[in-house]
Amino acid sequence: MKNFRRTKLVFNSFLPLSLTLVFFIFCLGREGDRETQLLAIKGGTILTMAGERIEEGVVLIKGKKILAVGKEVEIPEEAAIFDAQGKHVLPGIIDSMTYYGIRPFDLNDMENPVTPENRIIFAYYPFGEFMRGKEGINRDREILSGGVTSVYIAPGDRQVIGGQGAVVKTWAESYDELILREPAALDMTIGDTAKYEMKREAKTPVTRMGISTLIRTNLLQAQEYLRKKKEAEEKEGEEKEKSPLFPRDPRMEALAALLNQEIPARIEADFADDIRTALRIADEFGFKLIIDSGLGAYKLKETLAEKGIPVVLGPPTHPFVQGGEVSMTRELYREMNEYNASELIKAGVLTSLASFGFGFGRFGYATQGRWLLIEAAYLAGFGVPDEEVLKMITINAAQILGVDDRVGSIEAGKDADLIILDGYPLDIKTWVDEVFIDGVNVYSRKGGRK
Amino acid sequence: MKRERKCFWYFTMFIFLVSGLGLGLSGEEDTFALKGALVHPVTSASIEGATILVKKGKIVALGKDISLPEGIRVVDVRGKEIIPGLVDPHSHIGVFAANDANELPQPIGPENRALDALHLDLPDWMEAVKGGVTTVVTGPGSGERMGGQSVTIKTFGKDLEKRILKESGELKMAVNGVNLSHIPTIQANFLKAREYLKKWERYEAEADKASPPERDLSLEALAKVLKGEEVLRVHVIWANDIISFLKMKDEFGFELQFIHAPEAWKVAEEIAKRKVGVICMPIILSINLPEDLLKGIVTLQRSGVKIAMHSDYPVAPEKWFRLNASLAIRYGLEKEEALKAITINPAEMAKVDTRVGSIEVGKDADLVVLNGPWYEISSTVEKVFVDGILAYDSLREEER
Repeated sequence: MKNFRRTKLVFNSFLPLSLTLVFFIFCLGREGDRETQLLAIKGGTILTMAGERIEEGVVLIKGKKILAVGKEVEIPEEAAIFDAQGKHVLPGIIDSMTYYGIRPFDLNDMENPVTPENRIIFAYYPFGEFMRGKEGINRDREILSGGVTSVYIAPGDRQVIGGQGAVVKTWAESYDELILREPAALDMTIGDTAKYEMKREAKTPVTRMGISTLIRTNLLQAQEYLRKKKEAEEKEGEEKEKSPLFPRDPRMEALAALLNQEIPARIEADFADDIRTALRIADEFGFKLIIDSGLGAYKLKETLAEKGIPVVLGPPTHPFVQGGEVSMTRELYREMNEYNASELIKAGVLTSLASFGFGFGRFGYATQGRWLLIEAAYLAGFGVPDEEVLKMITINAAQILGVDDRVGSIEAGKDADLIILDGYPLDIKTWVDEVFIDGVNVYSRKGGRK
Repeated sequence: MKRERKCFWYFTMFIFLVSGLGLGLSGEEDTFALKGALVHPVTSASIEGATILVKKGKIVALGKDISLPEGIRVVDVRGKEIIPGLVDPHSHIGVFAANDANELPQPIGPENRALDALHLDLPDWMEAVKGGVTTVVTGPGSGERMGGQSVTIKTFGKDLEKRILKESGELKMAVNGVNLSHIPTIQANFLKAREYLKKWERYEAEADKASPPERDLSLEALAKVLKGEEVLRVHVIWANDIISFLKMKDEFGFELQFIHAPEAWKVAEEIAKRKVGVICMPIILSINLPEDLLKGIVTLQRSGVKIAMHSDYPVAPEKWFRLNASLAIRYGLEKEEALKAITINPAEMAKVDTRVGSIEVGKDADLVVLNGPWYEISSTVEKVFVDGILAYDSLREEER
């Protein structure tokens, strides 16, 4: 009896202890192999966006990166297996122009038409609902449901030079991992939107002349700034110590980065004439240019192709593209052309499709990014080949944003950002079933809230 | 004539007598012993039935068995609880009184000083004392991007000079999310301040001090922050603004604290990593706050962030400052941590912890005597000592 009691005592004290220990080791093990964790997505049709499609292929993921893709990839024993039989695997969709995660009042500085020093990353809010929710980066099911894994965020289009945009992921483990590229570009606008709000205050610019003058004078100042900076840096020894300090100006630094071709300018220009102005200014000052929206870009397709200037198109169903937003569009400019994308692609212009959508948790408008795949499908009906349509929202977008070394296609070495669809991607009945970002299954349509 | 002279002599004698009496009294008033209470010194373990010996406004001894000097006045506080005088790290007491808190036409005004806008003859100060608040950091409002410098001051005392702990200091800034230019504007000013600092350093290193650089009060205030002499306090609401300021801290390397920061828990790790203090939202009465936020304060503390409570008077009443800690306990904060959040933590954040914030030998005798557990809503403040002087006595109040 006594003996039994002792065993019981030993058992009673040891069992919880050992269990705790086992659990602890288990936890440690799990924690440790986040970087080496293996996951194989097996059996799906893989649209890699970098070459041929692979039927019943395997994507092997190690930690946050893709390790191997192909038909005959050996799956290690310890790898977790995700069965994608009968499904399509696509790289995470990239929305190359959005105002996603930006509070409406943070979009534009209405008091100044030119603010190159502003950085949109300061306004990016990936923390879910205001004053509610969990710790860390909160997952937004709204945008993940559209399969969007990376977005370009930018200041609004009500200023001539709005500021610096950034490329961010829609989810990451920490804030720093969220940012793919920052600054990614300098956002400008040539067109009516840049002068609209200003009109009330009778402030420059109220015409297209004023817009161009503002861009030119600021870039001239930046040229002067660069020259002086170079002079100050070239001085040496005692001379350098005695000369006055060269003050750093964040406003000029941003424009200088543009002139040094470190970042491109993204000029929102719709009508062919505005695009011509953008091209003129880019030639004059020698900076890299990307055309946003580009409603009338097809009229200049040869020039754009020749100069290698990419175009980020708006969604074909957007009211602006349909001429609803600017009333004079229909009378003055007959730019609308549903074959815009197909003509640009045929001419060899690097083209992407973006939502230009707002979205701020439950505050903003509906997140347009979630419909990007359907907008793309719409283009397929207007002369763009299927493969090209999918490229427009994946690898082309990544190339335009300058992040194609990390995302945009399913290739070994790239980030494990991919989506699994339950049917052909450009079919209206198709849904995004799963979304993986950095190898983590962050969204599951059937799994409920994750 | 004779009578007049006589009168004069009587008068002078009377004056001498009165002043002598006064001197004698004041000499005694701030020297006494509090005996028999449960004392929470905050920085060390609580002592049951302890004695606190106060001499000339300072704590000279604390413990269970202390030999008291002969003839000292002993105040019997058996059955009571004693905590240090509370420190409110962010308030606008005395500043908001005559609309003096925001110099709105000047959005960047780091040179402005709250001390110059302080109204001392207000009943508000006594209300603070009644709640056990003995030290406040009172500062400019949050209407501008850079509001100015706060003043750290005791809530009670005869002499303004003696009441002040720190004339200027923490630089108050505010991010209200007006537009995207907010952060870059603040950054540009810090860049200017860095140039200014360099200019002066260069001048001071020169052998022949011929022509000193021009002085600029605004940049001087910012330069002090850059040198690490002063703390930067930022009013923030949104989590992304917290990140922006943390990144700015990485760039400029100043000492940083957040005020309100109702979303701080969402980025707790980032804050803890950079050792930034958070002065949490006043969780009292007037503001309807979601549960997640109230739990978030606990998350923040557990992530290793130094937290403090504040009243943000007149947003929440100064008198109920203590209840911030009580409510935090209700949402899971440990009692010790909650007490720290209204005493030593804010004192450390305001850099006045050498004088206030705990009951320790050598510190100011700012003591609060309560008739029950300090965190209970039903306990009332019975006596408040500021610099060893009885500033408030509930019994005396009743007699009146």
